[in-house]
Amino acid sequence: MIRWIPFASLIQQEVFRFWRLIRQTVFPPIITTLLFILIFGYSLGSRIQEISGLSYIVFIIPGLLAMGVTNNAFANTTTSIYMAIFDRSMDNLLAAPLHPFELVLAFALGGIVRAILIGLIILMVAILMLHVTVAHPLLLGLYLLGSATFFSCWGIISALRAKTWDSLATTTNFVITPMTYLGGVFYSIQLLPPLWQKISLANPLFYMVDGYRYAMTGVSDVSWNISLAITGVLSFSFFGLCIYLFRTGYRLVR
Amino acid sequence: MPLSVGLQRSCLFKTVNEILFSFRTVTVKSSFEKMNAIEISGLKKSFGDVEALAGIDLTLREGEFFGLLGPNGAGKTTLINSLVGLVRPDNGSVTIFGHDIQRTPFEAKRHLGLSPQDVNINTFMPIEKILQFQGGFYGLPWGASKKQAQKLLEQFGLWDKRKGGRHQLSGGMQKRLMIARALMGSPQVLILDEPTAGLDVELRHELWTFLDALRAQKVTLLLTTHYIDEAEQLCDRVAIIHHGKIIACDTPAQLIAHHSASGVKNSKNRFVRPGSLEAVFVNLTGQTIAEEHT
Repeated sequence: MIRWIPFASLIQQEVFRFWRLIRQTVFPPIITTLLFILIFGYSLGSRIQEISGLSYIVFIIPGLLAMGVTNNAFANTTTSIYMAIFDRSMDNLLAAPLHPFELVLAFALGGIVRAILIGLIILMVAILMLHVTVAHPLLLGLYLLGSATFFSCWGIISALRAKTWDSLATTTNFVITPMTYLGGVFYSIQLLPPLWQKISLANPLFYMVDGYRYAMTGVSDVSWNISLAITGVLSFSFFGLCIYLFRTGYRLVR
Repeated sequence: MPLSVGLQRSCLFKTVNEILFSFRTVTVKSSFEKMNAIEISGLKKSFGDVEALAGIDLTLREGEFFGLLGPNGAGKTTLINSLVGLVRPDNGSVTIFGHDIQRTPFEAKRHLGLSPQDVNINTFMPIEKILQFQGGFYGLPWGASKKQAQKLLEQFGLWDKRKGGRHQLSGGMQKRLMIARALMGSPQVLILDEPTAGLDVELRHELWTFLDALRAQKVTLLLTTHYIDEAEQLCDRVAIIHHGKIIACDTPAQLIAHHSASGVKNSKNRFVRPGSLEAVFVNLTGQTIAEEHT
Protein backbone atom coordinates (compact mmCIF):
# COMPACT_ATOMS: atom_id res chain seq x y z
CA MET A 1 0.00 0.00 0.00
CA ILE A 2 1.53 3.27 -1.10
CA ARG A 3 1.41 6.16 1.35
CA TRP A 4 0.88 9.16 -0.86
CA ILE A 5 2.67 11.98 0.94
CA PRO A 6 6.03 10.16 1.27
CA PHE A 7 5.66 8.73 -2.22
CA ALA A 8 4.80 12.11 -3.75
CA SER A 9 7.79 13.66 -1.95
CA LEU A 10 10.09 11.00 -3.42
CA ILE A 11 8.79 11.61 -6.93
CA GLN A 12 9.03 15.37 -6.52
CA GLN A 13 12.63 14.92 -5.44
CA GLU A 14 13.42 12.80 -8.48
CA VAL A 15 11.71 15.12 -10.97
CA PHE A 16 13.19 18.21 -9.31
CA ARG A 17 16.67 16.67 -9.70
CA PHE A 18 16.55 16.33 -13.47
CA TRP A 19 14.48 19.47 -13.99
CA ARG A 20 17.09 21.51 -12.14
CA LEU A 21 19.69 20.20 -14.61
CA ILE A 22 17.51 20.69 -17.67
CA ARG A 23 20.41 21.80 -19.87
CA GLN A 24 22.09 18.45 -19.23
CA THR A 25 19.07 16.22 -19.01
CA VAL A 26 16.40 17.41 -21.44
CA PHE A 27 17.90 19.67 -24.10
CA PRO A 28 20.79 17.48 -25.40
CA PRO A 29 18.67 14.51 -26.60
CA ILE A 30 16.31 16.90 -28.34
CA ILE A 31 19.20 18.61 -30.11
CA THR A 32 20.64 15.22 -31.11
CA THR A 33 17.32 14.20 -32.64
CA LEU A 34 17.07 17.51 -34.48
CA LEU A 35 20.52 16.92 -35.93
CA PHE A 36 19.52 13.42 -37.07
CA ILE A 37 16.44 14.89 -38.75
CA LEU A 38 18.54 17.55 -40.48
CA ILE A 39 21.15 15.06 -41.68
CA PHE A 40 18.88 12.20 -42.71
CA GLY A 41 15.81 14.25 -43.56
CA TYR A 42 17.24 17.07 -45.56
CA SER A 43 20.75 15.95 -46.54
CA LEU A 44 21.52 12.22 -46.86
CA GLY A 45 17.94 11.00 -46.71
CA SER A 46 17.10 11.89 -50.29
CA ARG A 47 19.91 9.64 -51.52
CA ILE A 48 18.67 6.58 -49.58
CA GLN A 49 15.98 4.35 -51.04
CA GLU A 50 12.61 3.93 -49.38
CA ILE A 51 12.37 1.16 -46.77
CA SER A 52 9.10 -0.79 -46.52
CA GLY A 53 7.44 1.96 -48.53
CA LEU A 54 8.54 4.72 -46.15
CA SER A 55 10.96 7.57 -46.83
CA TYR A 56 14.16 7.00 -44.88
CA ILE A 57 13.59 9.83 -42.38
CA VAL A 58 10.05 8.66 -41.63
CA PHE A 59 11.41 5.12 -41.24
CA ILE A 60 14.01 6.15 -38.65
CA ILE A 61 11.88 8.64 -36.65
CA PRO A 62 10.33 5.88 -34.45
CA GLY A 63 13.83 4.54 -33.79
CA LEU A 64 15.10 7.99 -32.85
CA LEU A 65 12.14 8.36 -30.53
CA ALA A 66 12.88 4.97 -28.94
CA MET A 67 16.55 5.88 -28.65
CA GLY A 68 15.77 9.17 -26.87
CA VAL A 69 13.33 7.51 -24.49
CA THR A 70 15.42 4.48 -23.56
CA ASN A 71 18.75 6.28 -23.22
CA ASN A 72 17.29 8.97 -21.00
CA ALA A 73 15.33 6.58 -18.81
CA PHE A 74 18.55 4.63 -18.23
CA ALA A 75 20.70 7.74 -17.71
CA ASN A 76 18.26 9.24 -15.22
CA THR A 77 18.11 6.34 -12.81
CA THR A 78 21.80 5.42 -13.07
CA THR A 79 22.84 8.98 -12.23
CA SER A 80 20.26 9.45 -9.51
CA ILE A 81 20.94 6.16 -7.71
CA TYR A 82 24.69 6.16 -8.17
CA MET A 83 25.02 9.76 -6.93
CA ALA A 84 22.79 8.96 -3.96
CA ILE A 85 25.11 6.08 -3.07
CA PHE A 86 28.20 8.20 -3.79
CA ASP A 87 27.17 11.17 -1.62
CA ARG A 88 25.54 8.81 0.92
CA SER A 89 22.17 10.51 0.69
CA MET A 90 20.84 7.02 -0.06
CA ASP A 91 21.53 6.21 3.62
CA ASN A 92 19.14 8.99 4.57
CA LEU A 93 16.43 7.51 2.36
CA LEU A 94 17.03 4.01 3.73
CA ALA A 95 16.88 5.27 7.32
CA ALA A 96 13.54 6.97 6.64
CA PRO A 97 10.24 5.07 6.96
CA LEU A 98 9.96 4.35 3.25
CA HIS A 99 9.04 0.98 1.76
CA PRO A 100 11.34 -0.55 -0.90
CA PHE A 101 8.37 -0.56 -3.27
CA GLU A 102 7.88 3.18 -2.80
CA LEU A 103 11.57 3.86 -3.32
CA VAL A 104 11.86 1.77 -6.47
CA LEU A 105 8.64 3.09 -7.98
CA ALA A 106 9.71 6.69 -7.31
CA PHE A 107 13.18 6.20 -8.78
CA ALA A 108 11.71 4.43 -11.80
CA LEU A 109 9.05 7.11 -12.26
CA GLY A 110 11.73 9.80 -12.20
CA GLY A 111 13.31 8.10 -15.23
CA ILE A 112 9.95 7.44 -16.87
CA VAL A 113 8.80 11.05 -16.52
CA ARG A 114 12.05 12.37 -18.01
CA ALA A 115 11.99 9.80 -20.83
CA ILE A 116 8.37 10.40 -21.76
CA LEU A 117 8.84 14.18 -21.60
CA ILE A 118 11.74 13.89 -24.05
CA GLY A 119 9.79 11.40 -26.16
CA LEU A 120 6.84 13.76 -26.46
CA ILE A 121 9.06 16.69 -27.42
CA ILE A 122 10.80 14.56 -30.08
CA LEU A 123 7.41 13.46 -31.36
CA MET A 124 6.19 17.06 -31.55
CA VAL A 125 9.33 18.08 -33.42
CA ALA A 126 8.84 15.21 -35.91
CA ILE A 127 5.19 16.07 -36.41
CA LEU A 128 5.94 19.76 -36.95
CA MET A 129 9.03 19.34 -39.16
CA LEU A 130 8.21 16.18 -41.10
CA HIS A 131 4.42 16.04 -40.83
CA VAL A 132 4.60 12.43 -39.63
CA THR A 133 1.44 10.89 -38.22
CA VAL A 134 0.86 8.35 -35.49
CA ALA A 135 -1.07 5.33 -36.76
CA HIS A 136 -1.80 3.80 -33.32
CA PRO A 137 -1.49 6.41 -30.55
CA LEU A 138 -2.56 4.13 -27.69
CA LEU A 139 -0.08 1.49 -28.74
CA LEU A 140 2.64 4.14 -28.95
CA GLY A 141 1.77 5.18 -25.39
CA LEU A 142 2.14 1.60 -24.20
CA TYR A 143 5.51 1.21 -25.90
CA LEU A 144 6.68 4.54 -24.44
CA LEU A 145 5.68 3.43 -20.96
CA GLY A 146 7.01 -0.11 -21.30
CA SER A 147 10.38 0.79 -22.77
CA ALA A 148 10.89 3.69 -20.33
CA THR A 149 10.07 1.40 -17.40
CA PHE A 150 12.41 -1.33 -18.60
CA PHE A 151 15.35 1.02 -19.08
CA SER A 152 14.66 2.95 -15.87
CA CYS A 153 14.76 -0.30 -13.93
CA TRP A 154 17.83 -1.49 -15.79
CA GLY A 155 19.45 1.82 -14.80
CA ILE A 156 18.60 1.19 -11.14
CA ILE A 157 20.15 -2.29 -11.29
CA SER A 158 23.26 -1.01 -13.08
CA ALA A 159 23.76 1.76 -10.53
CA LEU A 160 23.40 -0.68 -7.64
CA ARG A 161 25.95 -3.03 -9.21
CA ALA A 162 28.44 -0.31 -10.17
CA LYS A 163 31.41 0.18 -7.89
CA THR A 164 32.84 3.13 -9.81
CA TRP A 165 31.77 5.71 -12.38
CA ASP A 166 33.94 3.77 -14.80
CA SER A 167 31.95 0.56 -14.37
CA LEU A 168 28.76 2.53 -14.85
CA ALA A 169 30.09 4.03 -18.08
CA THR A 170 31.14 0.53 -19.19
CA THR A 171 27.51 -0.60 -19.17
CA THR A 172 26.45 2.47 -21.14
CA ASN A 173 29.28 2.33 -23.67
CA PHE A 174 29.59 -1.42 -24.21
CA VAL A 175 26.03 -2.64 -23.73
CA ILE A 176 23.43 0.09 -24.10
CA THR A 177 24.95 1.99 -27.02
CA PRO A 178 25.64 -1.08 -29.23
CA MET A 179 22.18 -2.43 -28.38
CA THR A 180 20.66 0.86 -29.45
CA TYR A 181 22.48 1.15 -32.76
CA LEU A 182 22.04 -2.56 -33.57
CA GLY A 183 18.39 -2.50 -32.56
CA GLY A 184 17.08 -1.54 -35.98
CA VAL A 185 16.94 2.22 -35.41
CA PHE A 186 18.54 2.97 -38.79
CA TYR A 187 17.63 -0.12 -40.80
CA SER A 188 15.16 -2.94 -41.19
CA ILE A 189 16.52 -6.31 -40.08
CA GLN A 190 15.12 -7.70 -43.37
CA LEU A 191 18.15 -6.04 -44.99
CA LEU A 192 20.58 -8.04 -42.83
CA PRO A 193 22.11 -11.47 -43.63
CA PRO A 194 20.19 -14.36 -41.97
CA LEU A 195 22.71 -14.81 -39.14
CA TRP A 196 22.53 -11.13 -38.16
CA GLN A 197 18.76 -11.22 -38.37
CA LYS A 198 18.76 -13.99 -35.75
CA ILE A 199 21.22 -12.09 -33.57
CA SER A 200 19.04 -8.97 -33.81
CA LEU A 201 16.08 -11.00 -32.51
CA ALA A 202 18.01 -11.54 -29.27
CA ASN A 203 18.25 -7.78 -28.73
CA PRO A 204 15.35 -6.57 -26.55
CA LEU A 205 15.67 -3.05 -27.88
CA PHE A 206 14.88 -4.33 -31.38
CA TYR A 207 11.35 -5.24 -30.25
CA MET A 208 10.84 -1.80 -28.71
CA VAL A 209 12.07 0.03 -31.82
CA ASP A 210 9.98 -2.23 -34.02
CA GLY A 211 6.95 -1.66 -31.79
CA TYR A 212 7.40 2.12 -31.94
CA ARG A 213 7.67 1.84 -35.73
CA TYR A 214 4.48 -0.16 -35.98
CA ALA A 215 2.63 2.23 -33.65
CA MET A 216 3.71 5.24 -35.71
CA THR A 217 3.72 3.92 -39.30
CA GLY A 218 1.92 0.58 -39.29
CA VAL A 219 5.10 -1.07 -40.62
CA SER A 220 7.13 -3.60 -38.62
CA ASP A 221 9.55 -6.51 -38.97
CA VAL A 222 7.83 -8.69 -36.36
CA SER A 223 4.27 -8.76 -35.08
CA TRP A 224 3.46 -5.78 -32.80
CA ASN A 225 1.88 -7.98 -30.13
CA ILE A 226 5.05 -10.06 -29.79
CA SER A 227 7.02 -6.83 -29.36
CA LEU A 228 4.53 -5.54 -26.79
CA ALA A 229 4.55 -8.82 -24.87
CA ILE A 230 8.36 -8.87 -24.73
CA THR A 231 8.48 -5.21 -23.66
CA GLY A 232 5.87 -5.85 -20.97
CA VAL A 233 7.51 -8.99 -19.61
CA LEU A 234 10.92 -7.32 -19.47
CA SER A 235 9.51 -4.23 -17.74
CA PHE A 236 7.68 -6.19 -15.06
CA SER A 237 10.61 -8.56 -14.53
CA PHE A 238 13.14 -5.78 -14.10
CA PHE A 239 10.80 -3.82 -11.85
CA GLY A 240 10.34 -6.91 -9.69
CA LEU A 241 14.09 -7.47 -9.61
CA CYS A 242 14.63 -3.87 -8.45
CA ILE A 243 12.17 -4.33 -5.60
CA TYR A 244 13.89 -7.57 -4.61
CA LEU A 245 17.30 -5.84 -4.59
CA PHE A 246 16.03 -2.97 -2.45
CA ARG A 247 14.17 -5.31 -0.13
CA THR A 248 17.27 -7.41 0.44
CA GLY A 249 19.48 -4.32 0.71
CA TYR A 250 21.76 -5.41 -2.13
CA ARG A 251 24.88 -3.19 -1.90
CA LEU A 252 22.84 -0.76 0.21
CA VAL A 253 22.71 -2.35 3.64
CA ARG A 254 26.05 -3.39 5.09
CA MET B 1 -4.37 2.53 25.59
CA PRO B 2 -1.65 5.01 26.50
CA LEU B 3 -2.78 8.48 27.33
CA SER B 4 -1.45 10.75 24.60
CA VAL B 5 -1.37 14.47 24.88
CA GLY B 6 -0.36 16.81 22.05
CA LEU B 7 2.15 19.25 23.45
CA GLN B 8 2.90 22.51 21.72
CA ARG B 9 6.17 24.29 22.41
CA SER B 10 6.76 27.78 21.15
CA CYS B 11 10.12 29.37 20.31
CA LEU B 12 12.23 29.85 23.39
CA PHE B 13 15.02 31.68 21.63
CA LYS B 14 14.42 34.69 19.55
CA THR B 15 17.74 35.37 17.88
CA VAL B 16 19.06 33.43 14.92
CA ASN B 17 22.27 32.61 16.72
CA GLU B 18 20.51 30.89 19.57
CA ILE B 19 19.70 27.38 18.56
CA LEU B 20 16.26 26.23 18.46
CA PHE B 21 13.02 25.24 19.57
CA SER B 22 10.44 24.69 17.02
CA PHE B 23 6.85 24.11 17.91
CA ARG B 24 6.33 20.45 17.56
CA THR B 25 3.97 17.79 18.73
CA VAL B 26 5.24 14.97 20.87
CA THR B 27 3.58 12.11 22.59
CA VAL B 28 3.71 12.37 26.35
CA LYS B 29 2.80 9.44 28.51
CA SER B 30 2.39 9.35 32.22
CA SER B 31 5.40 7.95 34.08
CA PHE B 32 3.89 4.54 34.83
CA GLU B 33 3.35 4.00 31.10
CA LYS B 34 6.97 4.65 30.18
CA MET B 35 8.44 2.02 27.93
CA ASN B 36 11.87 1.30 26.58
CA ALA B 37 12.70 3.46 23.60
CA ILE B 38 15.47 1.18 22.35
CA GLU B 39 16.20 -2.42 23.30
CA ILE B 40 19.32 -4.06 21.95
CA SER B 41 19.84 -7.71 22.61
CA GLY B 42 22.84 -9.91 21.76
CA LEU B 43 23.78 -7.74 18.79
CA LYS B 44 26.66 -9.11 16.74
CA LYS B 45 28.14 -7.93 13.47
CA SER B 46 31.35 -8.84 11.67
CA PHE B 47 32.83 -7.40 8.50
CA GLY B 48 35.01 -10.19 7.17
CA ASP B 49 37.44 -11.06 9.96
CA VAL B 50 36.73 -7.87 11.87
CA GLU B 51 34.22 -8.26 14.67
CA ALA B 52 32.61 -4.81 14.89
CA LEU B 53 29.95 -5.75 17.44
CA ALA B 54 30.64 -8.66 19.75
CA GLY B 55 27.30 -9.09 21.52
CA ILE B 56 25.74 -5.81 22.62
CA ASP B 57 22.96 -5.71 25.21
CA LEU B 58 21.60 -2.28 25.97
CA THR B 59 18.34 -0.60 26.89
CA LEU B 60 17.49 3.08 26.52
CA ARG B 61 14.51 4.30 28.49
CA GLU B 62 12.02 6.68 26.98
CA GLY B 63 13.07 10.30 27.48
CA GLU B 64 16.59 9.33 28.51
CA PHE B 65 19.69 11.20 27.35
CA PHE B 66 22.16 8.44 26.67
CA GLY B 67 25.83 8.81 25.77
CA LEU B 68 27.89 6.27 23.86
CA LEU B 69 31.62 6.66 24.18
CA GLY B 70 34.37 4.63 22.62
CA PRO B 71 37.70 4.90 20.83
CA ASN B 72 37.77 5.06 17.04
CA GLY B 73 36.82 1.68 15.58
CA ALA B 74 35.13 0.55 18.80
CA GLY B 75 31.84 -0.10 17.00
CA LYS B 76 29.84 3.06 17.78
CA THR B 77 28.82 3.85 14.21
CA THR B 78 28.13 0.20 13.39
CA LEU B 79 25.85 0.07 16.43
CA ILE B 80 24.06 3.26 15.37
CA ASN B 81 23.68 2.04 11.80
CA SER B 82 22.20 -1.20 13.17
CA LEU B 83 19.59 0.86 15.02
CA VAL B 84 18.37 2.56 11.83
CA GLY B 85 18.58 -0.48 9.57
CA LEU B 86 21.67 0.51 7.60
CA VAL B 87 23.59 -2.47 8.98
CA ARG B 88 22.08 -5.92 9.09
CA PRO B 89 23.28 -7.69 12.24
CA ASP B 90 24.57 -11.27 12.11
CA ASN B 91 22.84 -12.02 15.40
CA GLY B 92 20.64 -10.36 17.95
CA SER B 93 17.84 -7.86 17.71
CA VAL B 94 17.02 -4.17 17.95
CA THR B 95 13.59 -2.86 18.81
CA ILE B 96 12.44 0.76 18.73
CA PHE B 97 9.41 1.28 20.96
CA GLY B 98 8.71 -2.42 20.62
CA HIS B 99 9.11 -2.57 16.83
CA ASP B 100 11.87 -4.83 15.54
CA ILE B 101 14.02 -2.89 13.07
CA GLN B 102 14.55 -5.96 10.86
CA ARG B 103 11.03 -7.40 10.95
CA THR B 104 8.94 -4.22 11.03
CA PRO B 105 11.38 -1.58 9.79
CA PHE B 106 8.73 0.87 8.67
CA GLU B 107 7.07 1.06 12.10
CA ALA B 108 10.44 1.26 13.87
CA LYS B 109 11.90 3.98 11.63
CA ARG B 110 8.90 6.25 12.08
CA HIS B 111 10.15 6.98 15.61
CA LEU B 112 13.76 7.68 14.62
CA GLY B 113 15.76 10.67 13.51
CA LEU B 114 19.43 10.29 12.65
CA SER B 115 22.18 12.84 12.29
CA PRO B 116 25.09 10.71 11.08
CA GLN B 117 28.80 11.14 11.61
CA ASP B 118 29.63 11.43 7.91
CA VAL B 119 27.93 14.00 5.73
CA ASN B 120 25.15 12.39 3.70
CA ILE B 121 23.45 15.38 2.13
CA ASN B 122 21.99 15.14 -1.37
CA THR B 123 24.36 16.85 -3.81
CA PHE B 124 21.69 17.98 -6.26
CA MET B 125 19.27 19.71 -3.91
CA PRO B 126 19.10 23.18 -2.42
CA ILE B 127 19.12 22.75 1.33
CA GLU B 128 15.61 24.18 1.66
CA LYS B 129 14.29 21.39 -0.56
CA ILE B 130 16.27 18.76 1.35
CA LEU B 131 14.33 19.58 4.51
CA GLN B 132 10.99 19.93 2.74
CA PHE B 133 11.32 16.53 1.08
CA GLN B 134 12.49 15.00 4.35
CA GLY B 135 9.30 16.17 6.04
CA GLY B 136 7.35 14.52 3.24
CA PHE B 137 9.17 11.21 3.77
CA TYR B 138 7.78 11.24 7.31
CA GLY B 139 4.26 12.01 6.12
CA LEU B 140 4.24 15.78 6.69
CA PRO B 141 1.99 17.52 4.12
CA TRP B 142 3.81 19.89 1.77
CA GLY B 143 2.64 23.15 3.38
CA ALA B 144 3.44 21.99 6.90
CA SER B 145 6.78 20.61 5.76
CA LYS B 146 7.68 23.94 4.16
CA LYS B 147 6.79 25.82 7.34
CA GLN B 148 8.72 23.39 9.53
CA ALA B 149 11.74 23.60 7.21
CA GLN B 150 11.74 27.40 7.37
CA LYS B 151 11.56 27.37 11.15
CA LEU B 152 14.41 24.93 11.51
CA LEU B 153 16.57 26.69 8.93
CA GLU B 154 16.10 29.97 10.76
CA GLN B 155 16.78 28.44 14.12
CA PHE B 156 19.93 26.70 12.94
CA GLY B 157 21.20 29.86 11.26
CA LEU B 158 20.93 28.41 7.75
CA TRP B 159 18.09 30.47 6.31
CA ASP B 160 20.40 32.70 4.26
CA LYS B 161 21.90 29.59 2.67
CA ARG B 162 18.61 27.94 1.82
CA LYS B 163 18.93 28.28 -1.96
CA GLY B 164 22.47 26.88 -2.09
CA GLY B 165 23.69 23.30 -2.19
CA ARG B 166 25.73 21.40 0.35
CA HIS B 167 29.02 22.51 -1.18
CA GLN B 168 28.24 26.10 -0.21
CA LEU B 169 28.08 25.12 3.46
CA SER B 170 30.99 24.90 5.88
CA GLY B 171 31.56 21.65 7.77
CA GLY B 172 29.77 23.02 10.84
CA MET B 173 26.83 24.18 8.75
CA GLN B 174 26.52 20.74 7.16
CA LYS B 175 26.39 19.21 10.65
CA ARG B 176 23.65 21.65 11.63
CA LEU B 177 21.73 20.89 8.47
CA MET B 178 21.81 17.15 9.21
CA ILE B 179 20.49 17.77 12.73
CA ALA B 180 17.73 19.97 11.31
CA ARG B 181 16.91 17.28 8.76
CA ALA B 182 16.74 14.64 11.52
CA LEU B 183 14.19 16.81 13.31
CA MET B 184 11.87 17.19 10.32
CA GLY B 185 10.05 13.98 11.23
CA SER B 186 9.56 15.07 14.88
CA PRO B 187 11.31 11.89 16.08
CA GLN B 188 10.74 10.35 19.50
CA VAL B 189 14.29 9.01 19.37
CA LEU B 190 17.03 11.30 18.08
CA ILE B 191 20.37 9.69 17.31
CA LEU B 192 23.30 12.06 17.05
CA ASP B 193 26.58 10.58 15.87
CA GLU B 194 29.21 13.15 16.79
CA PRO B 195 26.99 16.17 16.17
CA THR B 196 29.42 18.69 17.61
CA ALA B 197 32.51 17.63 15.65
CA GLY B 198 33.64 20.68 13.69
CA LEU B 199 31.47 23.15 15.60
CA ASP B 200 33.05 26.05 17.47
CA VAL B 201 32.66 26.33 21.23
CA GLU B 202 29.78 28.80 21.07
CA LEU B 203 27.77 26.65 18.68
CA ARG B 204 28.50 23.55 20.75
CA HIS B 205 27.06 25.22 23.82
CA GLU B 206 24.02 26.40 21.88
CA LEU B 207 23.48 22.87 20.69
CA TRP B 208 23.72 21.61 24.27
CA THR B 209 20.97 24.04 25.25
CA PHE B 210 18.88 22.79 22.38
CA LEU B 211 19.43 19.14 23.30
CA ASP B 212 18.47 19.87 26.89
CA ALA B 213 15.27 21.41 25.59
CA LEU B 214 14.55 18.30 23.53
CA ARG B 215 15.09 16.19 26.62
CA ALA B 216 12.50 18.31 28.41
CA GLN B 217 10.09 17.30 25.65
CA LYS B 218 10.70 13.61 26.48
CA VAL B 219 12.63 12.97 23.30
CA THR B 220 15.02 10.07 23.81
CA LEU B 221 18.53 11.09 22.82
CA LEU B 222 21.44 8.87 21.89
CA LEU B 223 24.68 10.80 21.55
CA THR B 224 28.14 9.72 20.51
CA THR B 225 30.85 12.29 20.96
CA HIS B 226 34.57 12.78 21.14
CA TYR B 227 34.07 15.62 23.64
CA ILE B 228 33.94 13.75 26.91
CA ASP B 229 32.84 16.82 28.88
CA GLU B 230 29.76 16.89 26.64
CA ALA B 231 28.72 13.40 27.72
CA GLU B 232 29.52 14.16 31.34
CA GLN B 233 27.36 17.29 31.38
CA LEU B 234 24.46 16.18 29.23
CA CYS B 235 23.87 12.48 29.62
CA ASP B 236 21.73 10.68 32.16
CA ARG B 237 23.67 7.50 31.48
CA VAL B 238 26.82 6.71 29.55
CA ALA B 239 27.99 3.44 28.00
CA ILE B 240 31.58 2.82 27.03
CA ILE B 241 32.08 0.55 24.06
CA HIS B 242 35.43 -1.07 23.33
CA HIS B 243 36.24 -3.77 20.77
CA GLY B 244 32.54 -4.14 20.01
CA LYS B 245 31.48 -4.72 23.63
CA ILE B 246 29.87 -2.54 26.25
CA ILE B 247 32.45 -2.53 29.02
CA ALA B 248 30.64 -0.13 31.34
CA CYS B 249 27.22 1.47 31.51
CA ASP B 250 25.94 3.71 34.26
CA THR B 251 25.32 7.31 35.24
CA PRO B 252 28.39 9.54 34.88
CA ALA B 253 28.55 9.93 38.67
CA GLN B 254 28.49 6.16 39.25
CA LEU B 255 31.07 5.52 36.56
CA ILE B 256 33.37 8.14 38.08
CA ALA B 257 32.82 6.71 41.56
CA HIS B 258 33.73 3.19 40.48
CA HIS B 259 36.36 3.61 37.78
CA SER B 260 38.41 6.78 38.28
CA ALA B 261 39.98 6.44 41.67
CA SER B 262 43.35 7.76 40.56
CA GLY B 263 44.73 10.02 37.90
CA VAL B 264 46.27 8.20 34.96
CA LYS B 265 48.52 9.00 32.06
CA ASN B 266 47.44 8.22 28.58
CA SER B 267 49.61 6.96 25.76
CA LYS B 268 50.79 10.50 25.00
CA ASN B 269 51.86 10.84 28.61
CA ARG B 270 49.27 13.54 29.28
CA PHE B 271 47.92 13.57 32.80
CA VAL B 272 44.19 12.95 33.01
CA ARG B 273 42.30 14.55 35.87
CA PRO B 274 41.10 11.97 38.43
CA GLY B 275 37.41 11.99 39.21
CA SER B 276 36.44 12.74 35.63
CA LEU B 277 34.68 10.73 32.98
CA GLU B 278 37.84 10.98 30.91
CA ALA B 279 39.73 9.17 33.68
CA VAL B 280 37.06 6.46 33.61
CA PHE B 281 37.49 6.14 29.87
CA VAL B 282 41.28 5.93 30.10
CA ASN B 283 41.15 3.42 32.93
CA LEU B 284 38.77 1.17 31.01
CA THR B 285 40.14 1.46 27.47
CA GLY B 286 43.77 2.45 28.01
CA GLN B 287 43.42 5.47 25.76
CA THR B 288 41.66 8.82 25.56
CA ILE B 289 39.15 9.94 23.02
CA ALA B 290 40.73 13.37 22.79
CA GLU B 291 44.14 12.16 21.70
CA GLU B 292 42.67 10.36 18.71
CA HIS B 293 40.48 13.25 17.81
CA THR B 294 43.10 16.00 17.81
